[in-house]
Amino acid sequence: MQMIKYMIKRILMLIPVLIGVSIIVFLIMRVFSPDPAPIVLGEHATQQSMQEWRLANGLNDPIWLQYVNYIKDAMTGNLGTSYYTKAPVTQEIFSRFPATIELAIAAIIFASLLGIFLGVVSAVKKNSIFDNGGRILALIGVSMPIFWLGILLIILFSGTLHWLPSTGRLNPLYQPTQITGFYLIDSLLTGNMNALVDALRHLVLPALALGMYSMAIITRMTRSSMLESMSQDYIRTARAKGITNRRVIRKHALRNALIPIVTVIGLQFGSLLGGAVLTETVFSWPGIGAYTVNCILKSDFPVVQGVVLLVAVVYVLVNLAVDIIYAFLDPRIKYAKKEG
Amino acid sequence: MKKMNKLIAFVLAGAISFASLAGCAGNGASSATASGSASGAASSRKSEASDTLTYAQGAEPRGLDPALVDDGESAKVTCNIYEGLLKYDKDSTKVEPCLAKTWDISDDGLTYTFHLQEGVKFQDGTDFNADAVVYNIDRQLPPKVTKDMSYASFVYSSVKSAEAVDENTVKITLNSPCTPLLKNLAMVFGAPVVSPKALKDNNNNVNQAPCGTGPYKFVRWDKGEDIVLIRNDNYWGDKAKCKNVVFKFIADNSARVVALNNGEADMIDGIDATVVSQIQSAGNKLYQAKGMNTNYMAYNASKAPFNDAKLRKAISQAVNVPELVTSLYQGYSEPATSVLPTFIGGYDKSITQTAYDADAAAAVLKAAGLTQVHMITYTNPRPYNTVNGQALAEAIQGYLSKVGVTCKIDSYDWTTYKSKVTEGDYDICFYGWNGDNGDPDNFMSLMSVDDPSQNVARYKNPEFNKLIAQGLSTPEGDARNAIYTQLEKIAAEDNVWLTISHAQNLCGYRPNIHDFYYHVTGDVPLAGVSKD
Repeated sequence: MQMIKYMIKRILMLIPVLIGVSIIVFLIMRVFSPDPAPIVLGEHATQQSMQEWRLANGLNDPIWLQYVNYIKDAMTGNLGTSYYTKAPVTQEIFSRFPATIELAIAAIIFASLLGIFLGVVSAVKKNSIFDNGGRILALIGVSMPIFWLGILLIILFSGTLHWLPSTGRLNPLYQPTQITGFYLIDSLLTGNMNALVDALRHLVLPALALGMYSMAIITRMTRSSMLESMSQDYIRTARAKGITNRRVIRKHALRNALIPIVTVIGLQFGSLLGGAVLTETVFSWPGIGAYTVNCILKSDFPVVQGVVLLVAVVYVLVNLAVDIIYAFLDPRIKYAKKEG
Repeated sequence: MKKMNKLIAFVLAGAISFASLAGCAGNGASSATASGSASGAASSRKSEASDTLTYAQGAEPRGLDPALVDDGESAKVTCNIYEGLLKYDKDSTKVEPCLAKTWDISDDGLTYTFHLQEGVKFQDGTDFNADAVVYNIDRQLPPKVTKDMSYASFVYSSVKSAEAVDENTVKITLNSPCTPLLKNLAMVFGAPVVSPKALKDNNNNVNQAPCGTGPYKFVRWDKGEDIVLIRNDNYWGDKAKCKNVVFKFIADNSARVVALNNGEADMIDGIDATVVSQIQSAGNKLYQAKGMNTNYMAYNASKAPFNDAKLRKAISQAVNVPELVTSLYQGYSEPATSVLPTFIGGYDKSITQTAYDADAAAAVLKAAGLTQVHMITYTNPRPYNTVNGQALAEAIQGYLSKVGVTCKIDSYDWTTYKSKVTEGDYDICFYGWNGDNGDPDNFMSLMSVDDPSQNVARYKNPEFNKLIAQGLSTPEGDARNAIYTQLEKIAAEDNVWLTISHAQNLCGYRPNIHDFYYHVTGDVPLAGVSKD
C-alpha cells in the first residue's frame, strides 16, 4: 500500500517536470533556431509565401500564446504535425522509438553484465593482473569516442571480416509482422527465426559501441562499491562464521554494494535513450536520436518538442523503477512517511 | 509481509519498465509486410536477394507525394512510383512522351493539348484518364493550392486552367506563353500524376501512401531505415527487370561505402573524391557523369564597391578558376566557363568568362583603393560544392590576398546562411544552383528576379530582363537558344557572378549491376536495372 502511494506521488510529480521541460524546450527552439519557413517551403519560396506560411502555422503569435495553444493540443494527445514531413508527430516518434529502446536495452544489458563482472573481479582480486586489466578496459571505455569506436567496429567486423552487417536494423526482406515494433520480440512472437537471427546480427555492433562507455562507468562503480563493502565488519563476521568465499562475495558483499550500481545503471540507461545520436548515425540505426538531431537542424519545432517530452517521461519512469528496485535490494529502505 | 512487499516492489518495477517501453511500441507506422515469411528457405532467400536492388542514399526522403516534397532524396524514390505526362530522355533534359502519347501547341503558345496513353491504370486499380490529370493540376492551382506545395508555383506558374476534353485528351490553357512548360511537365516534383482515389482517401496528402502509374509500387516505409518497392506487374510499359527495390538511408559517407563494399548495398550515391579509390579497389564500379548544377560566387551589385562593374571584373581577374577547381575538387568538378551546364540548350562554346590576370586586377584595385571585402559563406557541403562554402571562400581569399585585398569571411550553417543572404549585408557571397527542369531559363532567370534569396547578386539590368521575358515565350529552337547565349554573354561581360564549377554526379555500384544510370536531374530510374 505504502509503495503504491509512493508511486502515485512520484507519477504526479511528472506533471511539474513536464511543464518545466516543455517551457524550456519551447523557448530554446523558438529563440535559437533558424526560421523554419525557408526550410519547409524550399528553394522556390518567396518572402510572401514564407510570411503566409508563418501566419498559417501560428508562428507570428506571441510566444506565450503559441505555448498555451501547444499545451492545449498536447493535453488532448495531439502533439501536432511535423513541419517538414507533414506527418503527425506521434506517428513520426512512435515509428522510431522502439528501435532506440531496443538498442538501449541491448547496450545496457551488455554494459551491466560485463561491467559488474569486471568490477567484482577487480575488487576481489585487487591489484592483481585481473584488476589492472579491468581498470585499463574501463579507462579505454570512458575515453574512446563512440563514433570512432563505431567506425573501427564497422571496419573490422563488416569491412574486413564480413562477419556482421554494418548498418541498419534488419534486412528488409526478413521483416517480421509488426506487433510491438521491437524486432526481437516480434520475430519471436511470429516464430520468424530468420528475422530473429538477422536482427541480433544487426544489433551486436551498435550495442557494443553504445554500451562501452556505460560498461566502463559500471565497472568503476562496482569496483569501488565492492571494495568499500568488503572492508565492512559484517564481511569479516561472515568469513569468521566459515561461509565460503564465493557466498560471502555474492550474498554479503555484492548485495550490499548493489545500490549505487543500480543507480548508475538507471542513470546510464536514461542517458543512452537520449545519447544514442552518434551510434545511430554511424550505424544508420533508425532510432529517435539521429532523427531528432535532423529535426533540430530543420527547425521542426513540433517534433523536437514531442521527443523531448517523451524522453523526459521515460527518464522519470526509469528513475522511479530504480527507486523501487532499491526497496527490493535493501529491506531497510521503505517509501512511507511513518513506520508502523 | 516483508516478502510480500519485496514481491510487490519487484512486480511494480517490472511493470513500470515494461509500460514505459511498450507504450512506445504499438502504433507502428508501417503497414502490411510484403515479404519475409516465417519459413523462408535459404535458397528462396538467395533468389529473392538476386531479385532485389538495394540503393543506399544519404538521407531519408521528406515524403512521397510529388506535390508536397522538394528534396532530391524523395525524388529518387518517387520517380520509380509515379509518371508524368512527359519524361526526360536518358542522357539529357530533352522531353519524350510518357503518359501523354502526343501533344499539340497552339500558334499563340497559349493552349497545349495532350493526347493520353489509353488503358493505363494506377497501382490501386483505378483508371488513369484525363480527369485524373485535371484533378492533379487543379490541386496545385489556386484556389486549392497550399503554401507547402513547394513546386506548384514553379511547374504551373503560367497555367490558367486544365480541362478534360474527352476521356483521353487534356487541354491546358496558359495565361501567357511559357516554353519551359513541357520541361516542367517532365519533372519529378509537381508534375507526376497521382491516383485521385489515393488523394481523396488520404486527405490530399499521399506522403506515406504513394500511388502512381509507374513501374514500381510502394510496399512499406520503415521510418529511419528503408523504403521497399515491388514491381508493378500491371505496368503499361516495359516491366521492371528486378522484382524488389529497397532504398536504404545511410547518413554517414564512410558507412555507405562499407555497405557497398560489403554487399549490403548494390548502389550508393553522395560520394566524393576521397572515397573513390576505396570503392574501386574493392572491385566496385564508379558512375561518373555531368551534373545539372552551377557553383558560383556572387558580387552584391546593389551597393558599393561592387555596384561598379569594373571592380567586379578586377576581382574575377584575380582568381585562377581552373587551378582552384582542380585543387579543390580533384577532378570531380569541371571548371565553369558558362552559367549553364554544357548540355543545356543555349550553351555555346563561344561563351567565355573573364580570364585570369592578376597584374591587371591588382592595378585596377589599387587605383580604386579597394583593400577589404566582406564575404559570407556556408559551412556545409552542397551538391554543387562538395567541399564546402568555407573552403571555397578561403581559397578565394588566398587569391585576393595576392592582389592586395583582404577578405573578412563570415561562415554560417546553410539555414542561417540563407537568411543572412536575404538580409544583404555582404560584398560577396557564395551560392549555387541545382537545375530543376533542364531549361536555360531556370538558370539565367536567377539574375533577373526581384527576390533577393534567389537573385543573390541583386543584379538589375532592364536589357537582361527583357531578354529573359523574350526567352520565356519564344518556342524551342535555335532562335531561343541564341537568346540564352546572348544572356550568358551579358552576364560574363558584366561579371555578375564568378562562375566556378559544375559538379559531376558520382555513384558507386557493384559489378553485378547492369544498366544503372543516374539522370542529370538527380533522378534514379531503376526499372531498367538488372542484377546477376
